[in-house]
Amino acid sequence: MHLWPHWLALIVLTPLVGAALTPVVALIDRRTPTWWALSTMTVTSFAATMLVLRIFHEGPFSYVPGGWTAPYGIELHFDEFSAVVGVICLVGWLAVLFSSRYTDSLPEFARGRTPYYYTLLLLNCGGMIGFTVTGDLFNLFVFMEVLSLSGYALVAVGGERIAEMAAFKYLLMGAISSLLVLFAIGFLYGITGTLNIADVTARLHGFEGPTAPAAVALGMLVVGFATKAAVFPLHVWLPDAHAAAPSPVSAVLSGLVVKVGVIGMIRVYRIYYGSGMFDLTVLNLVLIWLGAISIVMGAFFAVFQDDVKLMLAYSTISNIGYIVMGLGLATTYGVIGASVHIFNHALIKATLFFAVGAIIYRTGYRTLTDLRGVGRAMPLTAVALSVGAISIVGIPPTAGFLCKWYIALGAFQADRPFFGFVLIFGALLIFIYYIRMVNAFYFREPVHAEVAEAKDAPVSMLLPTLVLASLCLIMGILGRVPLTFIEPGVARLLAPLGG
Amino acid sequence: MLTALWHNIDYVASVVLFCIGLYVVIAKNNLIKKFLGLNIMETAVFAFIIALGVIEDGQPPIMTGDAHGPFASPLPQTLVLTGIVVAVSTTALALTLIIRVYRRFGTIEADELRELE
Amino acid sequence: MEVVDIRPLLAPAMSFACAGMVFLFGRKTHWRRFWMLSAATIKMLIVLSMLPGSLQGVVYTFDLVDFTGGIGLGFRADALGMFFALVSSSLWVATTVYAIGYMREDEKRVRFFGFFALCVSTTVGIAFAENLLTFFLFYEMLTICTYPLVIHYETPEALSAGRAYLTYTLIGGAFVLVGTVMVHDATGTISLGHPGILDAGIGTGRLGFIFGLLVIGFATKAALMPLHGWLPRAMVAPTPVSALLHAVAVVKAGAFGIVRTVYNVFGVDLLDGLGFTLPLAALAAFTIITASVIAIFQDDLKRRLAYSTISQISYIVLAASMLTPFAATAAIVHFANQALAKITMFFVAGAIQRTTGKTNVHELAGIGHQMPWTMGAFTVASLSFIGMPLFAGFITKWYISLGALESGQWWFLLVMITSSLLNAAYFLPIVYLAFFKPARGAAAPMKEARPTLLVPTLVCAIWVIALGTTSEVAGMPFSLAEAAVRFVFRM
Repeated sequence: MHLWPHWLALIVLTPLVGAALTPVVALIDRRTPTWWALSTMTVTSFAATMLVLRIFHEGPFSYVPGGWTAPYGIELHFDEFSAVVGVICLVGWLAVLFSSRYTDSLPEFARGRTPYYYTLLLLNCGGMIGFTVTGDLFNLFVFMEVLSLSGYALVAVGGERIAEMAAFKYLLMGAISSLLVLFAIGFLYGITGTLNIADVTARLHGFEGPTAPAAVALGMLVVGFATKAAVFPLHVWLPDAHAAAPSPVSAVLSGLVVKVGVIGMIRVYRIYYGSGMFDLTVLNLVLIWLGAISIVMGAFFAVFQDDVKLMLAYSTISNIGYIVMGLGLATTYGVIGASVHIFNHALIKATLFFAVGAIIYRTGYRTLTDLRGVGRAMPLTAVALSVGAISIVGIPPTAGFLCKWYIALGAFQADRPFFGFVLIFGALLIFIYYIRMVNAFYFREPVHAEVAEAKDAPVSMLLPTLVLASLCLIMGILGRVPLTFIEPGVARLLAPLGG
Repeated sequence: MLTALWHNIDYVASVVLFCIGLYVVIAKNNLIKKFLGLNIMETAVFAFIIALGVIEDGQPPIMTGDAHGPFASPLPQTLVLTGIVVAVSTTALALTLIIRVYRRFGTIEADELRELE
Repeated sequence: MEVVDIRPLLAPAMSFACAGMVFLFGRKTHWRRFWMLSAATIKMLIVLSMLPGSLQGVVYTFDLVDFTGGIGLGFRADALGMFFALVSSSLWVATTVYAIGYMREDEKRVRFFGFFALCVSTTVGIAFAENLLTFFLFYEMLTICTYPLVIHYETPEALSAGRAYLTYTLIGGAFVLVGTVMVHDATGTISLGHPGILDAGIGTGRLGFIFGLLVIGFATKAALMPLHGWLPRAMVAPTPVSALLHAVAVVKAGAFGIVRTVYNVFGVDLLDGLGFTLPLAALAAFTIITASVIAIFQDDLKRRLAYSTISQISYIVLAASMLTPFAATAAIVHFANQALAKITMFFVAGAIQRTTGKTNVHELAGIGHQMPWTMGAFTVASLSFIGMPLFAGFITKWYISLGALESGQWWFLLVMITSSLLNAAYFLPIVYLAFFKPARGAAAPMKEARPTLLVPTLVCAIWVIALGTTSEVAGMPFSLAEAAVRFVFRM
């Protein structure tokens, strides 16, 4: 199948150019930025569809802009893990749609700031897309900064009391982690003289100099990306930031942005597994343990939250723990489960944040106590929320189930049954929280009149929520599709170069 | 050991500078000072990457003909240029946030803010 | 012979749909009753329609989804599952009628009946689960659906009992899940459609681990000592719920899980050589005796019944762990025998409480003259538990004893005899009090329970006798149990 080869360039450029032009089109009319952002995301999504179709048929492929081959030019490389652009575009598109009404309720936006919000949102998506498809280390850093900077700013736009502080905390830790990554990229460049990921891997393979700098670089990369991914104990920035952000932004941040750290780790692992320089057992063990602690700790804190968004934020930490643990297990099952969970968790968490966002928009309350009885007042939203909840716990036949099953299988495959236990007990803790939530939403009498009289969410919010909720179910039933799709990618990731 | 360190004094210096910056970020209470620490870290990384560009007997890329050295690799310089752009935007954003924190809470001392939250 | 048929799926699915209807239209009394009863009846009819085939050895299967590599949701109505489904669905009809009468004055009836309907749908789901994952899914749903029933009165006591119940059963469920993943890891399948899927090549250590996980997980729900803590506390629930928890759904689901583990996951041949079942049998024997002793000292009638349940459910575990055909027959038929007798007793306890307001044993003096039919039913159930011939309980004890002789472990016989004596010790005084002691104060006039409470009680009592006398009649549940045993032992 022959496809137009420039989609890969287009998917990176479209959101960035669209972002730059949003304030310009805002001059036409107050409502145009929304339509502009939507159409930008539509073009991007179309490109993403084309790319995913192509990788289905051909396997991984590269694109060299302007014909400048490495080491001079920059290479864009699309592999199985890059297929996450599909979910980035989907959630991004729905987040824009969701924002169209949501932003009315925020004080900042009354003063004509809406176009800048869309700029930031598009930049964020563009940065993530660039990050996942680039084949160049420095480019990786630049895109990471694009998405991080827009992310810090997006946390602050909500106007919550603690929003700016949360954003600053996020910025501080984010910037330090970025610098660590940049430092490490400098190390790798110093050792190999190239920035192309494939070249770096090839030159480190059979490298015969001192290995210490490469090891230091590995350490810094892992710490840097682990901070972005909010792995325990580097998670402290996450709960406040994700809870303080406006709900559509929380969906993007929690569902997608933290995954950037994980995808970064996958890229790093490709370099080091491929080069075969080090025995990564110790690092993997550290990752498994950190993943396990994240799972339990995130779930544990989530159980004791009354604020729904804060709880969702903690459950993100827990779920990132699953992914990191799966990566660290370094068995086929574990890594496949982890990789698919990157996709599925994005869907699930976006569903939950959208549903909660719609509820907050309608009622103005955000704690379990205040929101009692909301399930009867907003039935469709609450159903979507319940679907999201059972998915995130991992109950079949929803999206969360197969990934967790695979990660658990991976734990047994790696002969570490203890972590299988941890995983399942973590899910149990989260389960308890969602029981509390469902109980409060459906079976308790409303405390506030606003809650009892709330109408279901407006269409622009309900549609994204329901689309994602049904995807949670579909991805569960068709669970084998992503699993078989990612398998060659995982096999390549774990295999040493030339082996 | 010491000779090795001396030969790589530029690298050592940037690592030390990085650590100083990290210390400032962690230890200082004032948000602006914290942020200055971050700037120090940025500078350290940039200095490190620039230092990588110095290669003895380096040949100029692309251009051929009768040029006389010494040449430094241009790639790290372009990288740092990009890096500086990123750093400036980070600084701008951070200062904006600090101003807004100050407007809301009337202080930018981290411990006082923690109490106010 | 296996036949692809949608009925094993339809049985839980239909009653799920009806339960949904109860939630949606439950505010109107007659609609609620209509959906409740139609859920119960439709499900029983579906199960009954499979009975003739099942008796001839037909197994109905239906694969709903297959996610990947043998992990999926599937349904399979084999003889063992049919037996359990038959017991639970027919008793559900009785319990539904009873609950309608019992809860007539209650406030939160929609929630109550909605979850009530869900509970028994999930029980049939458990019975027809084709693999461990489907089993686990319904098993956990059962936990969740019974929680609102346990906390129904929402008193502090009820809420704390509910928390204890959730803690016990959810943690137990997690054990089951870990065990399931380990089975999948070891064999690549989690199907329950074979007489054993594990084999000795996996290694004794790992097999023991899996056995421990699954048995501990299921034993929490089966209230095997020392994991029984939640059961007596859950007595704060309304009486139909206690009947449901104790006789039909929850503890039976746990016992059924153990039976499935022994017969379908491990298989008799494998376990015979491993010796894991001996500690399990010892634990079950310990539970039988200890719980009976504790029961003697309970004055609250429902608590006495609760400890009696703990003791009786362990019969199933004990029989299952003997690994002989006779004992297996006993294990399976005891699902019906215990369920019918125990549900009769709970119905009686509830009827007494609703009619006279009495809940303690010492208050029951002379009540046999006041409520002769009700107490007659109680007597029948007591005699069954004691193991009187012609009553259902006798069949169980007879076959367990045969199994004990077959396996050469004579001490099981001692357990049986002791347990019978203890059963007599805590049930017969109630019968004696009711009929032969004069009531304190003036003798109350005869006042039977209202028909919706009395009729289900009597029907169940009659079935206790029917089960005890018809074990040789073809087409009765007993022959189904024998079919299940033939499959398990590959006879």
